[in-house]
Amino acid sequence: MLEIKNLHVSVDGKEILKGLNLSVKPGEVHAIMGPNGSGKSTLSQVIAGNEAYEITSGSITYQGKDLLEMATEERAREGVFLAFQYPVEIPGVSNLQFMKTAINNIRHHRGLDEINVAEFMKQAKAKSQQVDLDPAFLKRGVNEGFSGGEKKRNEIMQMLMLEPTLAVLDETDSGLDIDALKVVADGVNALRAPDKSVVMITHYQRLLDYIVPDYVHVLARGQIIKSGGKELALELEDKGYAWLGIEEATA
Amino acid sequence: MSTLNTINFGVEANSQLQSTLKEFSTAKQAKLAEWTIPTRKTEAWKYSAKRLGMSTSEVSSAASNDATNEAYVEAYSLDCDTLIITNGKLTQALPNVEGLSVTSFADINHSQSKEVASGAIASSDKLMFADLNAAFLQNGIFIELADNQHITKPLKIVFQQTGEGNSFPRVFIKLGKSSSMTVIEESSTNSGLSATDIVSKQNTAILNSVTDIHVSDNAKLTFLKMNLDKAGYRHIASTGVSLMRDARFNSYCLSLGNQLNRHDLLVKMMGPGAECDLNGICVTTDKQHVDCHTCIEHIAPNCTSNENYRCIADKQSQIVFNGRIHIHRDAQKTLGSMSNKNLLLSSEAEIDSKPELEIYADDVKCAHGTTIGQLDETELYYLKTRGINHEQAKLMLTLGFVLEVVRATPVIEIAEYWEKTLANILSFKL
Repeated sequence: MLEIKNLHVSVDGKEILKGLNLSVKPGEVHAIMGPNGSGKSTLSQVIAGNEAYEITSGSITYQGKDLLEMATEERAREGVFLAFQYPVEIPGVSNLQFMKTAINNIRHHRGLDEINVAEFMKQAKAKSQQVDLDPAFLKRGVNEGFSGGEKKRNEIMQMLMLEPTLAVLDETDSGLDIDALKVVADGVNALRAPDKSVVMITHYQRLLDYIVPDYVHVLARGQIIKSGGKELALELEDKGYAWLGIEEATA
Repeated sequence: MSTLNTINFGVEANSQLQSTLKEFSTAKQAKLAEWTIPTRKTEAWKYSAKRLGMSTSEVSSAASNDATNEAYVEAYSLDCDTLIITNGKLTQALPNVEGLSVTSFADINHSQSKEVASGAIASSDKLMFADLNAAFLQNGIFIELADNQHITKPLKIVFQQTGEGNSFPRVFIKLGKSSSMTVIEESSTNSGLSATDIVSKQNTAILNSVTDIHVSDNAKLTFLKMNLDKAGYRHIASTGVSLMRDARFNSYCLSLGNQLNRHDLLVKMMGPGAECDLNGICVTTDKQHVDCHTCIEHIAPNCTSNENYRCIADKQSQIVFNGRIHIHRDAQKTLGSMSNKNLLLSSEAEIDSKPELEIYADDVKCAHGTTIGQLDETELYYLKTRGINHEQAKLMLTLGFVLEVVRATPVIEIAEYWEKTLANILSFKL
């Protein structure tokens, strides 16, 4: 599904990722943990195709294709989805218009006709209820005036609508109360399937109580320095990063 | 320098008017001698003077007296009462609405005439074209809503102009105490020129309209304005509003580009507790030009004004926004806020934005902000991560930039029509 080899990435001339390796197979859920400033968000942005990041060496292969050669929107159409840590507010563009345009772009890519409007509305309402968002939100501007939790739930709702093959969640659990966390976890669990993969970037072990990962990785100083099963997260929770010889950077 | 003291107003142009109005018009004729045709050096016309005819005859030639019978064509469907003024003359029966009196200036009484002569625009000494309108005053329409009346069906006023020559329509709107209504002002001119070459093949005509509004205590006027002028015309509109105690004025103005589309909006906060909310959308393309000058005079204390103007200029077009807030010495506890956000879609387009704050009271809160920029890269990126292609994402964001204001427009049919119109104008680019 996703094969990252020796990835080096710089932003504004500063190297953030320094030879990262990661292999995700279909059906797997990976959690990436690590202290602030370790490069977790950089990894998610590079997968999604943020052009502010410069890839100095290494490769990312997605479903056998060179992901780094693909434009941002092509990646999305091929099934890559990033749930943003800080979703963007776009007043003036309604959630409905946004989702409909996105779905039709993806459908067009797959050789399908535009989605039937009634069918789209039905789905949009159902998925917004699934993530506990009032369907009235659909008519408002994208994330306009949404609380932090509402923005995160909107990301999950978009994920459910777009049905990605590879979902990357960048600290989607941060700042959520326990009810919202459950909603997010239910959304991700609903997506789990033998042909779909999830990469969850998180700061807290708490999320992993609700979404049980197959693998847990520790990202520090731009590299994955330790990998293990779900018990690694518990160990980290217990002993902190200092146990691995890492000092938590002040963010 | 072209002076205006040689204008021939025709034989007793204002002879049919009631004496107060006649004196008002004659005084403005005399005042015109002090005006010269604006040039680049005229501050209020710095960026737009080049779009005016430069000769006295051009700015002042009146349209032929015969109002043509060209039918008015509705651009959108809306359940409303309609008043059509063609080439400065009423061409349709006055609407008959309960609680609302609509009277020709020829038939108004003495006190009504005095109100017309002392309206916000009428009493301003800063607006040359409004003075020109008054100097050419032959008739006008006085609209009065009785106290405590609430009309839900909007009243639409159409300024229509056809053929050569200028026209000078004038309307006075008075809302009685604790009344409310919605007025839509629409201009519709047709020069028969194509949109592509409006500068070289300009029509000399100017539609020079004045709308003076008086909102009495505790009354509320919702005011929508749009220009649906065909290419080639110049349109200069002056809107004046006097707000009495606890009165409200909410405006939504769509300014589309043309040879020249100038709008002067003057709001005077005369009574304590008055509030105004001014929303504007300006969109230009090709070689079009829009100039919006707004001025809020905070005269009474405890008043609130909000202003939000969004402008998009594409291709070689130009938009001028000049927003002035003047807080007088006695206007304590004023809350004023002004926001003007601008988007340039082409390297040849130009936007000149100038906020002006003049504050003489010491206990006020007043904020203003202006931004000029291109599309937000983060927003573009976010749309693209959902599979939306670059061009489509750009169009969505560009439209979204103005739709935020359009969607606030309380008349849904018009909001939808504006959205469609803007989508049409902006998608030319794609």
